[in-house]
Amino acid sequence: MQQLGPDGANFGQGTTSAAIIPQPGLLRGRRQFKHERRLALQAYAFLLPSFIGLLAFSLIPILAVAVLSLFRWGLIGQPTFIGLGNYAQMFSSSSFWHSLLLTLYYVLLNIPMQTIFALLLALLLNQKIPGRGIFRTLFVVPWMATAVAMGIVWQWIFDPQYGTLNTFLGLFHIAAPAWLSSTTWALPAIAAVNIWQYTGYNMLFFLAGLQGIPPDFYEAASLDGANPVQQFFAITLPLLTPTLFFVLVTDVIGSAQVFDTVYVMTQGGPGDATSVLNFNIFRQAFEFFHAGYASALSMVLFAILLIITLLQALFFRSRTVYDLS
Amino acid sequence: MTSVSTELASRKAVAIERQAGTPWRRISGLVAAYIILILGVVVSLFPYFLALMTALKTPNQVFSSSAWSLPHPATLQNFIDVVTKYNFLDFVWHTLIFAAILTIGQLIFSTLAAYAFARMQFPGRDQIFWLYLATLMVPNIVTLIPLFLILKTFDLVNTWPGLVLPFVLGTPFGIFLMRQFFMTIPRDLENAARIDGAGTMQILFQVILPISRPILATLAIITFVPAWNNFTWPLIITDTNDLRVLTVGISAFQSNYGTQWNLMMAAGFIALGPLLILFFLFQKHIVRSIHLSGFK
Repeated sequence: MQQLGPDGANFGQGTTSAAIIPQPGLLRGRRQFKHERRLALQAYAFLLPSFIGLLAFSLIPILAVAVLSLFRWGLIGQPTFIGLGNYAQMFSSSSFWHSLLLTLYYVLLNIPMQTIFALLLALLLNQKIPGRGIFRTLFVVPWMATAVAMGIVWQWIFDPQYGTLNTFLGLFHIAAPAWLSSTTWALPAIAAVNIWQYTGYNMLFFLAGLQGIPPDFYEAASLDGANPVQQFFAITLPLLTPTLFFVLVTDVIGSAQVFDTVYVMTQGGPGDATSVLNFNIFRQAFEFFHAGYASALSMVLFAILLIITLLQALFFRSRTVYDLS
Repeated sequence: MTSVSTELASRKAVAIERQAGTPWRRISGLVAAYIILILGVVVSLFPYFLALMTALKTPNQVFSSSAWSLPHPATLQNFIDVVTKYNFLDFVWHTLIFAAILTIGQLIFSTLAAYAFARMQFPGRDQIFWLYLATLMVPNIVTLIPLFLILKTFDLVNTWPGLVLPFVLGTPFGIFLMRQFFMTIPRDLENAARIDGAGTMQILFQVILPISRPILATLAIITFVPAWNNFTWPLIITDTNDLRVLTVGISAFQSNYGTQWNLMMAAGFIALGPLLILFFLFQKHIVRSIHLSGFK
C-alpha cells in the first residue's frame, strides 16, 4: 500500500527535475515576487467563473439555510426567530437519532460492496478482451435509468407474492421475506438497488484512473517476478489512491443523502424503517412545513459529512501517491 | 557488462513467458472473465427486461399478467403514442440542449478551476478548495428553496438561463474529479515545457489536455447523463411545455388516476436510447493515451 521500492519504480529517473528547475529560494527579489503574483492572479482568473457560480447558486443558498435553521418557518408567512431552538428540539428527538443511525447503517451497507465490485469490474474491463466496449456500456446502463421508472420496476421485483425475486427463490424452496414491507430487509433492499445502480458508474472513475498508470511499471514488476496480485498491491492500488479518494468521498456524501430510491420505493416505511436523514428532511420541509427544522437537520448532516470527509482526507494524505517518477 | 545484459535478457524472456502463459491458460482465463461479465450483465439488465416487457404490452395485458411474462401479442402502440400524442420529441430536444450546454460548461470551467487547484500556487488554495468541496455536503432538498427565490428575483423562472445557470459554470463535483486526475500527471512533463518557455495556457492546452482524454470523456459522461436525467431542478424552475424535459414528461404518466406503466416504460426507453449511443461513443476515449505511455 505504501511507496514502491526504490529500485522498482524509479528506473533511474532520479530527481532530475529538482536539479534543473530554479527553486523558489534561488531567484529572490522583486522579479520573482512579481512572477509569483502574476501566476497567482492567473490562478484566480481560472477559478473566477466557477467561483461566481458557487457563490450565487451554492454558497448564498447554503448561508440562507444556515440562517433559516435559527427560525421557525412554515414556508409561507413571517419566520420567527427561535435561536438554537430547532437544534435543541432535534437532539432530544428520538426520530432524529433513529434516522441518523439508519443513514450510517445505509452508508455502511452501500460503500464497501459498491466500491469493491466497481474496482474489480474496472480491472477486468481494462484488459484487452473482445467486446469490452459493449460490456462497459451495459454495466453503466443501470445508472442511466430515470429514477422513478426504475424504482417502480424494483418494486415489482421485490413484491412478496408476484415479485420476480421471490418467485425465483421459491424455485429453490427458499422462504424469502416480504422485502420492502419488512423492517429488517427494507433498507438492505434499497441499498441493493443503489449498489445495482452505481457499481458501473464507479467503475468509470476507476477505469479513467487506471489509464494514468504507465504500463512500464507492470513490465518492470513482472521482470522482478511479481505476480498479478502483488502487482495490484504494489502498483495499481497506490497509484489509484487519488481516484479512490474521490470515489469514497463523493459516494459517502451521495449515500448519506439518499432520497430518490427511498421516496419511490418505501416512502420511509414500513413505519420509519427506511426514514433516512435526507428523507426526514424532505418530510419536515414539504409535508409538515417545518422549513426551519428541516434546515437545522440539513446543517447537522452537513457538519457530520464534513467531519467524515476530513477524516478521509487525513487517512489518505499519508497514503496517497500522486506520482511515482 | 555482457553477463549483466544476458542475465537481464533471460530474465525478461522468463517474465514474458510467465506473462503470456500457455494458450490453454489464456483461454480458460478469458472464459472465466466472460462468465463473470455475462452474469453481471444479466443482473444489470434484468430490470430493463421487465421494463421492456411492460412497454410492449397494452394496459389490459399489464394488469392481467406478471411483469416478466412475454407480451402476447406485443405492441409498439405505446412507443407510437408517447411520440405522437405527448410531444415527446420536443421534450427530447429540450433535454438534449439542456444536457449539452451543461456538459460544455462543465468541460471548460471545471477544467480551468481544477488545474488551478491541482497545479498552481496561490494564497488560500486549499481553503478555497475545501469551500468548494463543502458545498457538496449540504443536502440540496432545502437549499433549492433559496436557490429558486434567487432566480425568481432575477426573473429567470421559465427561462433557459434559469434552467442552466446554476450548473453551467462548472460544479464542485467535476472540479474535484479533474483535480484528482491532474495531480497524478508527472510534474516533469510540465517542467520540461516550462523550461522551453511555455506559459500556463500553453502547458494546459498542449501538454495537459492531450493526455487527459480519458478523464475528459469521463467528465463529459458523468455530466451529461445526470443532466439528462435531472428531474427536480427542471420541475421547480419551469412549468411550460416550451421548456419541458423528458423526466418531467415521464413523471406525468404517474397521476392521481393511477400510473400508465406501459407508457411510462416506453417513454423511459426513448429517454435511454440517446444516452446509450452517446456513452458508447465516449467510452472509447477511456483508453490509455499515447503520450502518457510513451513518456517514460
